[in-house]
Amino acid sequence: MDLGKGSNKSSANSPAVIGLIAVITVLLGVGGLVIAQLTPVLFPDQASAEANQIDQLFKVMLGIGGSIFLLVQGVLIYSIIRYRKRQGDNTDGPTVHGNVTLEVVWTAIPAVVVLGLVIYSYQVWVDIQEPKEDELVVHVEARRFGWTFLYEDERLTAGNGNGNENSNATRFPAPDLHVYAGQPVRLVMETEDVIHSFWVPEMRIKQDLLPGRTTEMRITPQLVDGRASDEYPLRYRVVCTELCGSGHGAMFTYVYLHEDEESYMQWVDSSVESVLNPPEDPVLNGMRIMASGVYGCQSCHALQDSREGMTLSWDAVTGPSLQGIADRASTRVSGQPAEEYLYESIYDPGAYIVPGYGNIMNQYQFVNPDAAHYLPKPDAEAITAYLCTVSDEFTPEELAENPLCDFDNLLSYSEMYTMDGMN
Amino acid sequence: MATASYPMDGVAGQVKRPALAEYFTWSIDHKIIGVQYIVTSLFFFIIAGALAMLIRWELMTPEITVMADGSQYNTLFSIHGTMMIFTWIVPFWAGLGNYLIPLMLGAKDMAFPWLNAFAFWLLPPSGFLLILGFFIGPAEAGWTSYPPLSTIYSPDGQTLWALSIHLVGLSSILGAINFIVTIKNMRPPSMGWFQMPLFAWATLATSIIVVLATPFLAGALTLLLLDRVAGTTFFDATSGGDVLLWQNIFWFYSHPAVYIMILPGFGVLSEVLAIHSRKPIFGYRMIALSSMAIAIVGFTVWAHHMFTSLQPELRIPFMITSMIIAVPTGIKIFGWLGTIWGGRIRLNSANLFSLGFLSLFVIGGISGVMLAAVPVNIHMHDTYFVVSHFHFVLYGGSVFAIYSALYHWWPKITGRMLDERLGKIHFVTTYIGFLGTFMPQHIVGMQGMPRRVAVYDPQFQDLNVLISLFSFLLGISTFFLLYNMVVSTVAGRVAGANPWRALTLEWQTTSPPPAYNFAGEPVPFEDPYGYGTDASKAYLDAMESRFGPSPGAEEERRPPSGALPEPQPAGD
Repeated sequence: MDLGKGSNKSSANSPAVIGLIAVITVLLGVGGLVIAQLTPVLFPDQASAEANQIDQLFKVMLGIGGSIFLLVQGVLIYSIIRYRKRQGDNTDGPTVHGNVTLEVVWTAIPAVVVLGLVIYSYQVWVDIQEPKEDELVVHVEARRFGWTFLYEDERLTAGNGNGNENSNATRFPAPDLHVYAGQPVRLVMETEDVIHSFWVPEMRIKQDLLPGRTTEMRITPQLVDGRASDEYPLRYRVVCTELCGSGHGAMFTYVYLHEDEESYMQWVDSSVESVLNPPEDPVLNGMRIMASGVYGCQSCHALQDSREGMTLSWDAVTGPSLQGIADRASTRVSGQPAEEYLYESIYDPGAYIVPGYGNIMNQYQFVNPDAAHYLPKPDAEAITAYLCTVSDEFTPEELAENPLCDFDNLLSYSEMYTMDGMN
Repeated sequence: MATASYPMDGVAGQVKRPALAEYFTWSIDHKIIGVQYIVTSLFFFIIAGALAMLIRWELMTPEITVMADGSQYNTLFSIHGTMMIFTWIVPFWAGLGNYLIPLMLGAKDMAFPWLNAFAFWLLPPSGFLLILGFFIGPAEAGWTSYPPLSTIYSPDGQTLWALSIHLVGLSSILGAINFIVTIKNMRPPSMGWFQMPLFAWATLATSIIVVLATPFLAGALTLLLLDRVAGTTFFDATSGGDVLLWQNIFWFYSHPAVYIMILPGFGVLSEVLAIHSRKPIFGYRMIALSSMAIAIVGFTVWAHHMFTSLQPELRIPFMITSMIIAVPTGIKIFGWLGTIWGGRIRLNSANLFSLGFLSLFVIGGISGVMLAAVPVNIHMHDTYFVVSHFHFVLYGGSVFAIYSALYHWWPKITGRMLDERLGKIHFVTTYIGFLGTFMPQHIVGMQGMPRRVAVYDPQFQDLNVLISLFSFLLGISTFFLLYNMVVSTVAGRVAGANPWRALTLEWQTTSPPPAYNFAGEPVPFEDPYGYGTDASKAYLDAMESRFGPSPGAEEERRPPSGALPEPQPAGD
């Protein structure tokens, strides 16, 4: 890294000059090494095996880049001090047009360095791409502005009571990604609308989701240095990194990194259980459906609720808050009862737009199971029944006495809505 | 087009500037057009800069607080990026090239004066269309406008956006054809290719890129417009279209466009550093030819912008070419360091911005090589690390070069000097504001903050507040330049023909130059950077006796003979 040094004084081959160049080269190398030590500070946790390799590659590049940085800034500052124009000196500098040896050197050395980096980067890339044995396959669905994760489970079969007759019947949905240390994961990703991009900074891997294509990426989660056992499952953000519209910044969810398979399987078992044995009570079933994340409600709405061991803790801001929605549902459209307003808002969100929000919610369909936004009628009824009980003004006991919705009317409205074939 | 200025041999300071009204008319004088470009682009720079201030204001909190909603925030950075690129940096270089190229070549005007005027007058409507978008729902899909966000999901302003870029693209192509023809045909007989000033080489390389690449942008925009207004489905995957088609065509233009924005800046540096270090450029041929190498290799790297969307097996070849392009850029940086080494470095505003360019651009170059590595890129892609990288090359690079060019050629264009004290304040505030704004963005990005978000992880708030505060300093720093320009125009010190004692031809005429630039046929000095020789001194003295001493060069005036200080030891 002694580029640019030789042009200073005459007799470039004298031992003194060669010695000086050697000293400067060593100093630049040491400087680069010191700068490279910043790497772990700059990056977040290393929660995947890929992170180790990528950080190491970055460290090498930071070291080399650091040396070049010090060389250029060093020559620059030295020149500005040493060769600045002195007061009253109006002479010109020496008429030096170049130095072929030097020019060859500072072309050849960077060329060799970048070729080395190409080879190194290529090896890391091939390693990361390598299919692993026994990968856990998770299907990822993205839409404006949220994520749904679908897990295969052999206990699930078509028509198992979740009301879903489509191909997702053998999968259970989750609003968050769950993985465990040491288990390689393959994400199979599709988008329902625009381009999105899946990124977990702590796992370093990123891949776009492209309309009309299925894209894949691999992650091998690992235990994170310095984290105690009781901190698990570790929670990191999954963020969207491709501009997708007004809610792009708020389009994040979480990945839960379990310490071991046991902890992960506990989560799987409870998720499967809730699909196989949904609550009989339509209100609780509606809450279960929303909590599962299958329709991505959590991506845009805020709602804090806790019942029967289920908890919703949503704080999204893209859509209007659902907190206490039952109290105001009947006031939104003059003459429209609460249950009809809520039900219609699921299938035809543009019918009434809450002031301050855009008409950007997905248009769900109940006819075609293969449609991008399929939401079967029983699910819509259950969700409506649940939302009818989301009240800030009344206690559950008071609601049991005087419900805010007419559930019989809900069923007949639902029937009529279907007959109309409005979508 | 008649200007009111005529050469007054031997009498400095009595040259009249063109009347103000001329700048608001259809003129085919390249000097008028050059100034029209420069002033128009400065106007859009201020608007786009104000948008950046709003962006930074919003980002002081991790929720949406300043803007009404996410869409409104998206319009800020979409229009900020579009304006900065298409109505500030690209047209500024067209303007500077317009002003300087005929002068540097000793020509009377550009090859096609009428076409030149036409190319300029496409620019104001283009910027106007972008601004008009704010009244009908502006483009909010970023300056890259990826479909289907920019087709199915965007308001009507997106159509205006595409029309606007179409106009500015056409303007760019027409200007570039003009430059190529002018540089090829209008040099004086004694000026061979390798006696051209390096700014002309850079403009030539830039123009070749423009002519080859910009038609692809026009093609992509046409498809986008058809999808938006004519019901076609080129980019609609649900009807057989492909979203990657846009990305490929768009970046096939837009990566070379990076060099369209930076190569003229390289040219400026080669002029400014040599002239203000009083030394020949180090390795003229390597610097000239590396511009051409960059222009060629620049066409083979576009897909490194698509490392997270491109098919995985296609990423490797683009990684290789993207890393290789660092080599010709490195040649230039080392060549410039060789140029200042051993010189008599004047630390005036023009040179400070060029030296500042060197120190900042090398950081952008290093982060560029990092981003070229696919494994590193898939972590950094679309994060603030990338935002930082391209601001280091486009602000620390292009804009610093623009500032340097303004301080350097302002005396030629206006006949007045800019105030050096204000210029130094401008440099220091810009440099500190820039570093404070963009250095920490590397860290925010690596830690996990994506670009183009108004809502972000609250753990990044502290750094974002810091970044915003420095960005406000950066915003304020611009006003030192604007104020300086106004004061200089009204009451600046008279410059004279050649205040820098520069050898290139644009300085061998009055400031500002008369109509048709030169009285008689100008004779260029044999070597545009031949400083330090007796011949060059004789040439400059002859010119000084012809055009009179340059009052602007007060502190540069040679001391009385006999008082010469000991020369510094000569280089090898």
